[in-house]
Order: sequence, then structure tokens, then C-alpha cells
Amino acid sequence: MELKICHLYPDVLNLYGDGGNIVCMQKRLLWRGVGAEVTRLGIGSAASLAGYDLVFIGGGQDFEQQVLLADLHRGRADEIRAAANDGVVFLTICGGYQMLGHYYETFDGKRCDFIGLLDLVTVGAKQRMIGNYKFRCTESAGGSTVVGFENHSGRTMLGSSLEPLGTVLSGYGNNGEDKTEGAHWKNVFGTYSHGPMLPKNPEFCDLLLRTALERKYGSSSLEPLDDAAEKTAHDEMCGKL
Amino acid sequence: MNLKAILAIALCKLLRLLSRLLGRGGTAMPGRWALKLCPDLLARLSKNVKTVVITGTNGKTTSARIVEQAFREQGLSYLANRSGANLLSGVTTEFVMNCTLGGKMKKEYAVIECDEAATVKVFPQLRPQVVIVTNLFRDQLDRFGEVTHTLGNIRTALESVPEATICLNADCSLCSSLALSLPNRAVYFGLEQGAVPSRAKAALSDATHCIRCKTEYEYDYVSYGHLGGFRCPKCGYARHAADYAVTELIEQRSSGSTVAVSIRGEKQIAEINLPALYNVYNAIGALAASVEMGVEKEKALHALAVFKGGFGRMEAFQLGRADVRMMLIKNPAGCNQVIDYLEGLRNRFVLVICLNDRGADGTDVSWIWDAEFERLNSIAGRIEKIIVSGDRAQDMRVRLKYAGIPDASITVEHDYEKIVSSLETLETDICLMPTYTATLELREVMVRHCGGKQFWEG
Repeated sequence: MELKICHLYPDVLNLYGDGGNIVCMQKRLLWRGVGAEVTRLGIGSAASLAGYDLVFIGGGQDFEQQVLLADLHRGRADEIRAAANDGVVFLTICGGYQMLGHYYETFDGKRCDFIGLLDLVTVGAKQRMIGNYKFRCTESAGGSTVVGFENHSGRTMLGSSLEPLGTVLSGYGNNGEDKTEGAHWKNVFGTYSHGPMLPKNPEFCDLLLRTALERKYGSSSLEPLDDAAEKTAHDEMCGKL
Repeated sequence: MNLKAILAIALCKLLRLLSRLLGRGGTAMPGRWALKLCPDLLARLSKNVKTVVITGTNGKTTSARIVEQAFREQGLSYLANRSGANLLSGVTTEFVMNCTLGGKMKKEYAVIECDEAATVKVFPQLRPQVVIVTNLFRDQLDRFGEVTHTLGNIRTALESVPEATICLNADCSLCSSLALSLPNRAVYFGLEQGAVPSRAKAALSDATHCIRCKTEYEYDYVSYGHLGGFRCPKCGYARHAADYAVTELIEQRSSGSTVAVSIRGEKQIAEINLPALYNVYNAIGALAASVEMGVEKEKALHALAVFKGGFGRMEAFQLGRADVRMMLIKNPAGCNQVIDYLEGLRNRFVLVICLNDRGADGTDVSWIWDAEFERLNSIAGRIEKIIVSGDRAQDMRVRLKYAGIPDASITVEHDYEKIVSSLETLETDICLMPTYTATLELREVMVRHCGGKQFWEG
């Protein structure tokens, strides 16, 4: 068994230790004897997005997001939509998550059109939402408690038919108001938990891996791992929040 | 001086005295209160003081120590904010502590390190003669925001002092872009092609695309991170030739480096009294600023050989029979440079990593995933033991586990006293890698065991 993982736009969407998620998925597969092949597809790459089992898109700086839009509109957006509709597992964080929505409107009213895969919009606010936070995933997203760090000025509003990824237990989440965090549609997972969210939330990481393996091989059972270190780090932060 | 200023000075001095009586530093708080009473106090005091300001992500403290040494060699009377209090409040405190009750300055020169975000408030008052911008890397994103935002802050600050000479890192595309839009006189420092073996372009770079036209940069060589011989194939923005250049890294030792430098075309050999490549950058930048401030070249060069680093900056201690180096880490670029240093060590060593997430460290510890701890695997045979500590020790433990270091070989210990006591009987070398606030605490324990100064004594 092997999963093909694509790290999309690692050259510009690589803020805050995003790469930690790739390392985490890769290691947790390898430790179980499952192969993991990671491909980095950067801006301007002509390579196709087809054939991947898992796609990761991280967060970026505003400066670089402008470079990104041009690339998306050169065909990458269509590929993302096709893959997502086909059930490919996506983990998208912060800027990468916002990018899947309809648009981002800056605080002073400038609108940036995104790919419209998910029924959500993001509007910039004056006050940044920064800090450690935790949320509980919905049952359909595994029901685990996730601890992470959020740092965003965008407030994301979900359309009425779009499920959130979870409910905020402490912190801001999508917008600091409705207690929703992230979004979950088909096998697409979007969240504001930036950077290395997976290493400290092994249950959530395994959900992504299991989903991708099931899609590819029909069934999957992931052997349990010794997660003492991960769980201690998770629980310690949970206790502080 | 008007009455308000005189009162503010008196208040500041009094609060400092009280702080010291209570055994505290009192490096920032007195200035904060003085500024409430007299908001332009720093401008009034610094008016006739010739000042060098050092800002940028990494290397501020070390660069400041070198400039200080150059000033001493030249026999200049100067003040410096050695304690690390580098916001408007801390700088003001330092000036007040060097003036009479009537507000007359006792020093002619000043060496001031300034927090990047604080430059906007500090520069208009301080009106420095020379400003060094060491480099710009991603750093404490929860506090500073994006690296281009930090760059914008520094640009705004410099706009208020068009008369200042700016010493820019030629190899940093972010720093040197400041000269594109500012009228200031600019001088450049950097490493020439061939000075160090070029690295592969970093997987993680903080400046991949042209700051002017957003085209991907091409590199003739990379020294580390995004530093090197960059050029934009589209708009032509490219590395500026360095007026103060390191042309060859002749020898790198665990205690220092020997380099060949070119000062406006004149070749010299320089000894640098601290190891690691990032200190070569600090040295050449500080050399540039010292000479621009009027220090004679020979004296500025000698300063590189004899200066003492700031606390926790590659600081050496002797603990029992063990050689100890304390190496502050605070962001991926700096941390990777420390890992470079570890790779170059010949002796076996114990590694202690202390990760805190307090305000001054940055509350977001995600950055440890951008640092290349994977490289420790290639030197695992020389690492006797790894201890992790600090408020976020468990996060560090997970990071190391995913870097490929067996979890069973990592010790978690929160008590610095216990850590240092357990190391006291060792014969191997010891490398301490604490974040900023951990440096203060760990250093206090080290000083108790080895002797040394309090942080505010520099």
C-alpha cells in the first residue's frame, strides 16, 4: 500500500511550520509499513494534480498570495475542483483554506476572487485573531478534540449547506462569533489551525490517512502507534485552554 | 530642558534606583513612566548624541557588542542598551541613566539595538547617524506579522530620518530593497560569491519572489536561508555589490572564524571572536557601521577579534570540566545556523533545548517545525544525550520524534537547577539552546553554578 501526497504551493504557502503536517503524515504511514510518496508542486509547475490521494495546502503571506492567484487561474483551480469532487482527501489550512471559498474581501473593500469550491466567504477584519485554541470535530470528521494555534485577520462565514469541521471550545475559529471552526465537505478538510496541526493531533491525522486509504484500497485498518509523546503534548495544551 | 523633562528624568532615575534595590533590572519600566510625563524625552536627550542603531531579525545584540568594542578601541565615550530592552521605553531609560539631573548627556555616542516593530517610534526621536539592518527572516509571526510587514515598519521608520546612512545586508533581498525607495545614503555589506561553498536553495525561503515585480528570483549562490547572490530575471532587481565584503572564509573553528575581507576594495584579514556563519555576517555589518561612524579601519578590525558576545549569544561557560555554549534560538533561520554549528563540532556533547512560548519568545511555537532538526540525525553519534525543557518541552519532544530521533532517548526535565546539576559532573561538552525567556532563566542558574554577570550588567 502506498499513498501519494501532494504538497501544493510549498514555495509560497509555507508559513508557520506547515511542513510539519507533511512530515507527520509521511512518518505515520511509514511507521505502519505503508508507503508515502510526497511531491511538491510549486507556482508555475506544469505537472498535473491528478493521481494524488492526499493534497495539502498551507497558509501564506499576503504578499505571496497575489502570485498565487495568477497560477490558480491558469488551470490549477479546475484541477483542485475535479480532485475534490472525486473524493481526494484535502487538508487545507488558513490561506489555503480561505482559497477554496468564493472570495476574500480585504478590510478596505478590495475583493479577491478564489476558486469557489466551498460555499464560504472570508472578510478581513481589523483585529487579528491570534492564540492557542481548541475545537471538537463533528462526528462526521471523527469527533476528536484538536488543539492548535490560529493567527488570522480573515473572518470566514460558512454557507448554510456547508458543515463546519468542528465547534470551538476555546479561541476564535472561523470568525470569533458563531463558534464554528473550519469546514468539511466530502473529503475536504479546511481549518485555521495553522502550521504543524497534525503532530499534536494524531487522531485527526489518522482520520485523514484512513480516509485516503479507504478511498484507494476499499478498506483500511491502521495499526495503533505508540502516541505517548503526541498525546502528552496534546493533553498538556488542552489543559491550559 | 523644560520642567516636564526635568521631572521625567528625576522620576526615571528614581524608579530605576527602586528597581535595583528590589533586585530587578529596571531596564524598561522607568523609561515607560518618564515618557508618559514627557513624550519627547528621548528626542531631547539624544539631540547631540551620535548614534548607531542596529535593527533586523537576527544578530542585533552581537552586532551591537562589536560596534561597542570598536568605539572602545577608538576611545569614544558611548552609552548602549546592553540589557536587551530595545523598545522606546528601554532606549529612553538608557539615555536617562547617562544624563545629569539637569538633562545634560554625559556621553557623546550611543550604540542602540532596536526591535524591528519599535523602529517607527524610536527613529524619529533618536535620529541616528547610521542604521544597520542585519537581515529579515520570518520571526514571531504572532507579534510582528508577516516579514514584509516588518520591512514596511523599518521603511516607515527610515523615512523619518533621511539624513541617516543605512548599512544594508546586500545578500538579503528584503533588506536591500529599502534603498530602492529611500533617499538615504546606503552602504552594503555581505558575503561575496565563493566566500563560502554555495548551498542548495533552501526548501524554505522567506523571499522567493521579487519584492518589486513578484517574479521568482534566480541565485548565483546561497549562503544560508534566502541570503545570497539573488537577481530578478524580469525587472533586474539584484544583489548590490558589497562595499564591505567577506571574500573568503579562511577557517571556521568552534570558538571563532578567520576571514578575508574587502573594505571598499582594500583587502584585510580579520579574526572573529565568535563562531558560526551568522556571526560572520554580524561582524561584517558591524565593521561597516563602525567605519561609517568614523572608527579607524584597523581599530574596527581589531574589535572583531576581541569583542565579547552578549548573554546567551554563543556565550561560553565552564561548568566543572565541561565546555558549555549557550546559543539563543528564536526563529528557524537562527536555529538552523546553530544546527550548522553543532554539525561542525568534533567533540561529543549533551544537547539541552529549552522552548518557551511567552510574549518575548513568540506565543506560537510552530516555528520549530521550520527549523531543520532532522540534521541532528547525521551527527547522532556525537550527541551524548538530549534534554528538552521549557514551557513547551512536550512540543519540542514531538518535534524531535518526527525528526527521527527515538523518543526513548529524549529526556524531559522542567527544572533548570536539576538539569545544570546533572551536567556538572560531565566531561563532554554541553550545548544549550534556549529561547529568549528561557535564556534569562537558564542563564541565571548557569551563572550561579559557573559565575558571571546578571543580564542587566551585560
